[in-house]
Formats: sequence, C-alpha cells, structure tokens
Amino acid sequence: MVINKKVLRTILDNKAQYIGSLVLIIISCLLFTMLNQLAINMNASSEDFRESYVQEDASFISDRRLENLEALEANFNILIEHNKVVDYSISEEVIIRVFSEGTKVNKPAVIKGEAVGENGVMLDPAFAEANKLEIGDSITLLGRSFTISGYASMPNYIYPIKEETDLLNNPNAFGIAIISKAAFDEVKQGSSFYSIRFNDSEMLEQRMAQFKDYLKSQNVSILKWTNTSENPRVTLVSTKIEGMNQASSAMPVVILLLSCVLTGIVIRKMLKRESVVIGTMYALGYRKLEIIKHYMRYPMLIALSGGIVGTILGAFTMNPMLKLMLKYFNLPLDKISYSLQYVVISVFLPIVFLGVSCYFVIWKALKSSPVELMKGGKDKGKVGFLEKGLKLNKLKFATKFKVREQLRSVPRSAFLLFGVILSTVLLLYGFAAKSSIDYMIKDSYGEVFKYQYEYVFNGLQLEAPQSGERFSVSPFELKEDAKTSFAVYGVQPDSKLIYFKDKNGNNLSTDSIIITKPLADRLELKPNDSISVTNKLDSRQYSIKVAAIAETYSSESIFMPLRQYNELLGYPSDSYLGLWSVEKLDMPADMLLRSATADDFKKAFDAAIEPMQKVIGIIAFMSFLVGLLIIYVVTSLIIEENKITVSLMKVFGYRKKEVYSLILNSSSFIVILGYALGIPALLALLKVLFASLAESTSINLPVTINYIYLVMGFFVIIFAFELSKHLSKKKLNKISMNEALKASME
Amino acid sequence: MFLKVESLKKSYKTGEISTQVLKGVGMCLDRGEVGVILGPSGSGKSTLVNIIGGIDRCDSGRVMIEGADITQHKDNQLTDYRREQVGFVFQFYNLIPNLTVGENIEVVSNISKKPLDIDSVLKAVGMLDKKFRFPRELSGGEQQRVSIARAVIKNPKLLLCDEPTGALDFSTSREILKLLQQINKDFGTTILMITHNTAISALANRVYRMRSGEIVEETINESIMSAERIEW
Repeated sequence: MVINKKVLRTILDNKAQYIGSLVLIIISCLLFTMLNQLAINMNASSEDFRESYVQEDASFISDRRLENLEALEANFNILIEHNKVVDYSISEEVIIRVFSEGTKVNKPAVIKGEAVGENGVMLDPAFAEANKLEIGDSITLLGRSFTISGYASMPNYIYPIKEETDLLNNPNAFGIAIISKAAFDEVKQGSSFYSIRFNDSEMLEQRMAQFKDYLKSQNVSILKWTNTSENPRVTLVSTKIEGMNQASSAMPVVILLLSCVLTGIVIRKMLKRESVVIGTMYALGYRKLEIIKHYMRYPMLIALSGGIVGTILGAFTMNPMLKLMLKYFNLPLDKISYSLQYVVISVFLPIVFLGVSCYFVIWKALKSSPVELMKGGKDKGKVGFLEKGLKLNKLKFATKFKVREQLRSVPRSAFLLFGVILSTVLLLYGFAAKSSIDYMIKDSYGEVFKYQYEYVFNGLQLEAPQSGERFSVSPFELKEDAKTSFAVYGVQPDSKLIYFKDKNGNNLSTDSIIITKPLADRLELKPNDSISVTNKLDSRQYSIKVAAIAETYSSESIFMPLRQYNELLGYPSDSYLGLWSVEKLDMPADMLLRSATADDFKKAFDAAIEPMQKVIGIIAFMSFLVGLLIIYVVTSLIIEENKITVSLMKVFGYRKKEVYSLILNSSSFIVILGYALGIPALLALLKVLFASLAESTSINLPVTINYIYLVMGFFVIIFAFELSKHLSKKKLNKISMNEALKASME
Repeated sequence: MFLKVESLKKSYKTGEISTQVLKGVGMCLDRGEVGVILGPSGSGKSTLVNIIGGIDRCDSGRVMIEGADITQHKDNQLTDYRREQVGFVFQFYNLIPNLTVGENIEVVSNISKKPLDIDSVLKAVGMLDKKFRFPRELSGGEQQRVSIARAVIKNPKLLLCDEPTGALDFSTSREILKLLQQINKDFGTTILMITHNTAISALANRVYRMRSGEIVEETINESIMSAERIEW
C-alpha cells in the first residue's frame, strides 16, 4: 500500500518519542540476552566443573587421621581424599592458602599453563594477576622455591574468599595455590582435612549422618564439617547465577512493559493526530483491517529493530561480562555457547508485547465512525472524569494548569511515575547495597566484636591460655529443616570482647543464651523460646532455650556460656577451640586451623568494595540514562499535546520563562513523587533479595540506606529532569504562533 | 491616530517561489474606533492583522501604535506589546479544552498587570453561570463569548478579531457582534475585525476592502448601525 510510505516519515517527524521506545526495547533485549546467555554459560560451566573435576559433597576435619580410606569408600560408596592445607604469608599483607593437589576429589582445573608436576605450583588467576605473578615465575612458599606452572581453579574454591563469613574476595591480599602431595609432605606443615564425594547423591543428608555415626563409633571426633551446599565459596556462585536468572527475567520484562506503555501512548497520540486521515481513508473505501495493518507497522518496526539491535548488543556484551564474571568466580570455561532459544525469545518478545498492546490501542481508536474521525475523533476535547471531578478553584492558576496537564493523560503520567520509580530503584540499588554492607561491617567490627585477632585451633584445647579470650564454635542446623544452618558459639560468660545489646539498647550479658536478630527473625523466636537443633559434626540432636535477642546483623548465630556449651556437647568442661584477642598472640602455625584479624577483614573489604563502587557507578549512570530518557520522552509528549496551547500562550504574550514553567514544570510533582515512592519500593526489593541471600549463604544484611545517598539520588533524578527540560526548550521555542491561528480546537 | 499602517509589505517564500501577500498596505484607526477589513480568501487580511497584532513580521513598512513603530520591536518587546495592549478573538475560539471557562480566562489574567475582574467580565459576556464548565460542554456561540471574555480580561487597547462570527449561525453571530459593540462602548477598546461578511461593515467606523494584497477601497461610515438591527 502506498500509505505505508509514510511510516518512516511519521517516525522521523516525531523522532524523540519513537527513539525513546526504541532505546527502551534495546536496553530490555540487551539485558535479556546478556543476562540469560551469561547465566546459561555460567550454569553450564559450573555444572561441568562440578562433574568433571569431582566437586566434594562435604569436607571435614577430624581429631586424628583416618585409616584405610579404601574400605570407607567401598562401605559408603564414596570417594574420599585426604589433603593438606596451610596459610602462608607472602608478605605482611598477602596470604596464600596452599593446598595439596586433589587427585580424586576437588581436582584442580588447569585454566592456563600446565599441571603442578614435582616443583610446580598453580595459582588462582585473579590472585596471580593482582600480584603480578606469571607462569614461569619462581615463588617461595613454605620455605622452598616453586615455579608457577599454570593457573587453576578448585571446585571447592570457586569464589576464593578467605573466611566463610567473608562477603567479598580480595585477590590483592588472598589467593590459593596448589602444589603436589609429595611437595606438601616434604615441607611438613599444614593441617589435614578430608574431601568426600558420594557416588549416589540420593538422600545425601542421611548418608552423611550414617558416615558421621560410623566415625563416632570409631572414636573419631569431627572438629569441623562443611557441606558443599553451605560452603559460600561454592554457593555464592549459584546464588549469583540464581540472582542473574531472576534479574534476567524480571528487569527486561519491566523495561519492556514500560516500552509497551510508552509505545501505546505514542501510537494513541499519533492516531488522534491522524484521525482525519483515518476517517478519510475509511471514506475512500479502505477496510478496517487494512488500516489496522498499516498502523501496526509502527510498533512492529520499532519492536523488530529494537529487538534485533538489543539482541546483537546483548550477545556482544555477554562475552566480556562472562570473562569478568569468570575472573571474579574463578570458573574454567571451555567454550562460550549461545542458546538459540533465548535469541529467538529476545527478538520476538518485544514483537509480541508491543503487538498485543498496540493492536488493542489501534483497534479501540478505529471504533469511531468515519465522520467522527474526520471531525477529529470521538474523544476530541473530551475531559476525563478526574479532571471534571477535581475542585481546583482555590489553587493558583499555574498549579491548576499543571495538575490538569498531568490528569489529561493518566497513562502518560502513570508511565512517568513508574519510570521514575524504576530509575530510582536502579539508581539507589547499588548505594543501598553499599550502605547495608557498611552498616554490617560497622556493626560487626565496631559495635559487637571488639577483638582484633581470631585464632582457631585444629583440635580442642584443654590447657588454659596465657592470654586471649576462649571460645568454641560448632555448626548446627534446625532439626525440622536441615537447610537452616547456623553457628553456636561457646563464649566466656564475662566476655570483654563481645558486646550485645537488645532492641532497647540495653547491654546483654554473655552469661546467658543469646541469639542474633537475623536468626531469631528467621526462626521466629522470642526470648524464652526453645528450639530443637542438630549438631552437624555428630548429627546429634539438642534443645536450646534462648534467653535474649541481640540486635546485631553480624551473623546468624547463638552464643552461650562456654561451660554450658561444653556440657551440652559433651566436651571437657574447660575445653575450647579458639581464642579472641586484642593483641597479636604468638601461636605455632601447626596448631592452627586458621587465623584472621579484624584489620585484614576491613582492608579486604575496602579493596573488594572498590570494584563494587565502579559497578554502582555504572548502574547509577544507566539508571540516570533511563530516567532521562523517560522524562525526556514524556516531556516531548506533553509539548506535542500542548502545541496549540503553547502557541496561544505566545500569542497572548507569555514570556519564554513563563511557558517553560507552565509546560515543562508540570511533571515536577510526579518526578518527586516517583522518587519518594522509589525508596520504599527499593527497600522492599532489597528485603526480598537479602532474605534470599541469607537463605543461600547465611549472610545477613540489614536493609538500610544512608541519608547522604538519598540526597545524592534525589539530585541525580532532579538533574535528569532539569536536563530533559533543557533539551526540550528548543522544541517549545520552535512552536510558532501560527499553530494557534491555523487550529480549530473547539 | 491610534493605529497607523504605512506601506506594509510582506512576502512568503516556498522554495524558489516568492508570493507577495501584502503590497504596500496603508490604513489607520482612531482610538475607540471599530475597523472592518473585508476581502476574499488569500487577499492578505489575516497577514495584515497578524502583523498588527505582533505575531508576524513584515518585510518593510511601518505599524504605528500610539506613535510607536512595532515593526522595530525586538521579540521581547513584541511579547510585551501583545501581553499588555492586544486582545485576540479567533474564528474557532481556540479555547484550551482541558481548562474550565474560568481557567481559560485566567490564562490571560494570569499574565496581565491590571486584569479586570473575571466574574465581572464573565457576567458582561453572559457566561458567569458557566464558569466551571469545560469548552466541550458549551455551544459555539458560548465558546466565542468565552473567547471574547478572555481577550478583554486584560482590558486591551486593541482587540483583533479574525472572523469572530465565521463559525456561527445568524442569531448567535448577532449576539456576538452586540457583545463586541458593547465592549467597544463600555471599555473604549479599539476593535479591528476581519470578515467575509459585508453586512458587518455597517457596524464599523472605517471599512477597508482588500484584494490581492492591496487595499482597494476605504470607506468611512458617518453613522454606525446598532448590531441589534443588523441583517443578512
């Protein structure tokens, strides 16, 4: 049809509105493709890694070495491997955790270079890069020299964090190294641990309990037991992939819905503008279907071009993103694959979404008769019930004008409101996450835990320490729900290094059983409630009665007096597993399972937060762009709708500033309201996200946001608004006074 | 003279083609007079009134309002001129559809230095009882009354009316003309009206007939007919 020639011309005449829809679709498809393809590759890589390199189901430390591993393997249908580990300080600030090479379980994947050989060592690539260590370089570890043979990843250390309680890794200060078993035996250092993999993964918990019972029957005490499902070095990856899966479906769909609303509004405006043309086409004998087909070309053109461009951009950006993620998580990758299914969905989703929404809009607009259409449409000059119903008589003229302007097109105002809410959520998301982590760090290492050094022994200690405060810790899970796990600490009843407060700010004595708030919330516990728990080390069940709830987000834990702890678990009454101290203690390395300092943690946090700040900056910039785009498009719609009014105002002698104020500032209330509503929306979203994080990683983050960030966010949104106003001024200036003279409005 | 137009020329260019719309037009009006410009479509009457109203510019010539040549005005001076001295009445009323009658008038009173009282003006045009109605809820004649109220609310010295009765039936047109005559009498407003309708020229002090961008005839009426007696 010859009329189709005007499709491109019309789009070019109203570029801003159509480009707005196009960019939103591109962003949506870019995110959809990138996140989905990323998740698929990460998932495949993680699954492949788990299977090909025999990821452990659990690891444990026992008080003595196990005999006859072959018999255990046969009896329990498992693979079990004994290995050693030791932390070695390369310098004051840099620690490298050296493992003996797993040959049956947790086999290292060589990412680059070669396997260790006799004198070789493999490093995790992020650590090597951060410390400028290259393949072929020599490195001294544990008193002897090794040659770096390659870079590797271990299936139980995919995310190489130093402590299980760490949130973020810091490759500048911590990394892992793998040397051969023979080389490890030579240096005669380190503690033993066992990695275990069940050949049959059915009823894993039960099989583990049987295995633990057997060890107990052989008088073997398990000092530490970590299920892979609770190992943050593994689970953080699955959490991230899961998060990506959620984001890859939710975010693009929200943006796509926004673009549907926007395109719907733009099409409706166009149909209103063209009602005389449509009426004439009807009168000339065009059928309704032919006219619908013509007008469907507009959204289809936008959807198809946006879908294709966005999908291509998504596919291109996936590669560098994947490399970044793999570096972050240390996963081996053989090849990058693209799922055709998601490519097809990405291209066709906007077509379906926009097709349906715009068909409805067009179909509704064409319900009028040709005569009505030729007179400018049924709705011409129609005043909505909201406008009619509102009594604005007492307001100033400018206020009345602005209110009516927003009420004239409720979908347009709603689009602006949701657009600003979305921008606010995106903008503040990073800031709120940072605030929450900051708060947790301050809470943990400022308010609650006053120690600087933590030492954990590789066996129970009976002799009184020369200095430091004794503690013990053991992993537990809820009797009814094995997925709910937490730590139970035995601490000195008069502890000077832990300070807990209740919700009223009163100090709590460590002479009673105290539960931290996140755990109490999760288990829905009140003071004096009891819970039935299972010790993960021996699978025995206990009942613990909680006396008080501590208002801290530092961990999901229960603290009880050490004597009571020992009595409960059947340990010698004065025994302990670790020491906390303000001063550095002189401890023989072979006695220690691990040691950490609060300063290390803070430094690691500061180093690790750096890339996060960059990500926050990128997200903030993206959200600024989305906000700017949405506000700009809505402003241009308002100008388009008010062409005649603006022209009239000019005829009446309105000055430029007065026209700007009335037309461009009419959305300011909605922008501010959108920002204000965005804050609770963000907090609600973070609550859900943090709850899911706590469930999968036991890391509890309080939902909070610093006021400074709120003020900053407000200024960013207002800046986007002011910039869009500035960009729109040219359009207002272009409207000539002749528009009013040519018009026949009513 | 309150209004004096001298040798006004204006041409429009469309690509290579230049069309001369005004070919040296001259006219004048005394304060408080009613002037009518008659002429067929394309004769240049709207262009002339647009230039007098300060919403278009001429190529050459002068438009003197109370001795000041507005063709020499800069854009902001022209804005001030329109804002303070000129009122416009359009053939198709040009009311803002999503503002009530009262609010449509406020559009102008809002920027006037000494606007008249809205209710008084609405009462004068017989629309006070419809102050809170929207334009869609009014007839054509009522909308033109609102348009006139909007034009006079700032008490302009010059009221420019472009075919004010062009879209109305005879009896409504007569009512509107009565209203304009009354405003001229009550407020002393100088009125310049464009029309196709020769009958309306009986209401004017001066009548200018235009053809092809020129004034071909100027008539000064010795006696002015009352709008009540007008017939066509």
